Amino acid sequence: MSPLEGLALFLLLLSGVLVVTLRNAIHAALALILNFLVLAGVYVALDARFLGFIQIIVYAGAIVVLFLFVIMLLFAAQGEVGFDPLVRSKPLAALLALGVAGALLSGLWGLRPAFTQDLKGGLPQALGPLLYGDWLLVLLAVGFLLMAATVVAVALVQPARPLDALPREEREREVVR
Amino acid sequence: MTWSYPVDPYWMVALKALLVVVGLLTAFAFMTLIERRLLARFQVRMGPNRVGPFGLFQPIADAIKSIFKEDLVVERADKVLFVLAPLLGVVFALLAFGAIPFGPPGSFFGYSPWVVNLDLGLLYLFAVSEMAIYGIFLAGWASGSKYSLLGSLRSSASLISYELGLGLALLAPVLLVGSLNLNDLVNWQKENGWLLLYAFPAFLVYAIAALAEAARTPFDLPEAEQELVGGYHTEYSSIKWALFQMTEYIHFITASALIPTLFLGGWTMPVLEVPYLWMFLKIAFFLFLFIWIRATWFRLRYDQLLRFGWGFLFPVALLWFLVTAFVVALDLPRTYLLYLSALSFLALMGAVLYTPKPVRKGGGA
Repeated sequence: MSPLEGLALFLLLLSGVLVVTLRNAIHAALALILNFLVLAGVYVALDARFLGFIQIIVYAGAIVVLFLFVIMLLFAAQGEVGFDPLVRSKPLAALLALGVAGALLSGLWGLRPAFTQDLKGGLPQALGPLLYGDWLLVLLAVGFLLMAATVVAVALVQPARPLDALPREEREREVVR
Repeated sequence: MTWSYPVDPYWMVALKALLVVVGLLTAFAFMTLIERRLLARFQVRMGPNRVGPFGLFQPIADAIKSIFKEDLVVERADKVLFVLAPLLGVVFALLAFGAIPFGPPGSFFGYSPWVVNLDLGLLYLFAVSEMAIYGIFLAGWASGSKYSLLGSLRSSASLISYELGLGLALLAPVLLVGSLNLNDLVNWQKENGWLLLYAFPAFLVYAIAALAEAARTPFDLPEAEQELVGGYHTEYSSIKWALFQMTEYIHFITASALIPTLFLGGWTMPVLEVPYLWMFLKIAFFLFLFIWIRATWFRLRYDQLLRFGWGFLFPVALLWFLVTAFVVALDLPRTYLLYLSALSFLALMGAVLYTPKPVRKGGGA
């Protein structure tokens, strides 16, 4: 392991730990940005340049900004977040995280490169035909899944409209009024 | 078509980066003076003219003043982020400028006149400008004041909205050139003519969105004193406030340098091709144009600003992207785009010249 690799690993782990341990939600989001930036650097070092920049633009840029908006508008950025509804959930969470990491590692172990094409440093000119040619169906499927997740999330958090709660006659009277 | 570019040694890159930083900071200082003098000229008054000949030392006086003013840190502020926010803003604003080419390879004393030559130059610019939003965002939150928070939410919402129009407008040139490298974009324009001619609507959308990204009038909502005191930098004073001014002006200068690079041929010119000269002239032109707009136009209301971004700029950019994609995908002659973009220019002129009778809404008399 070269010193730079070690530094990247250290920063990734440190910022990851900070994201889950910091009490203030804004500080946690900032640690998340740091994590994404270092990850983008790792991508670029691995010659996946397009992926690296997309990581910054989409994740560190757009998605964390969304997080921050939500945190600020909900005034959730206080140090004290009230009582913890899941008592002593930390060991369980650690166990789950280790399980996921193990599953991912075992998946990586059995991974064989499905294709051996020259990606030319991960430039879009080489990635485009792959994404929108060979793997188009997979891309569409992932997009559909994400859209379904969004729709479900919106449907879940939608509060019951006050009109629906009323009995039938009263609802009609409300509508007429 | 591919062009290849020489790679400079690291010490030269570092030297050029230093030069860009120093140059931008000097340009910022004197842009404040130029802007104030020009605004004064537009408003038929004198402007700053007491310090040195023609007021030339005014920026130095301003710098001394802002450094030695009392540096307040608000009691309820998040101390670390309060200091970090202006620094973040300035750093990410400075980073963008290095990718812009100022001449052909070898025209900077035998080296290349750009700091970095990235295959994904445009994506780099987007990444950097998105990160710059965090400066504003964190400043508003860390101040621990309602006006600051409202101002920062406002400006980051508008910045993110216009970022979309900005990105979509750039897709048309990228499709035509087939590269994200800024040098490739300039070289393509040298061989085939300026992209302005091929993509006038995209140019228009990009210029307006860049104006909004630099938070200039008519999009300078963070500065709306009558509503927000001072926006996201209400609680800032002294050198930290000056850093925010610096960020704004550097964005302004970078935007004025990017528009010519992307749409007006960069450093190239059909006649009398000299490196640097035309690039500086084009930058100066856009700087002047934006100051002129500031002196002439009014500030938009907030909902108007967002509606204009999402309801007009975004669809126009999308439509032009689809037209360009159609031409490129079917491999039609690119001259179609020339005609179409000339047509859109005529349509714009028609819309500007045609003034319908104002309709009174509600109320007789």
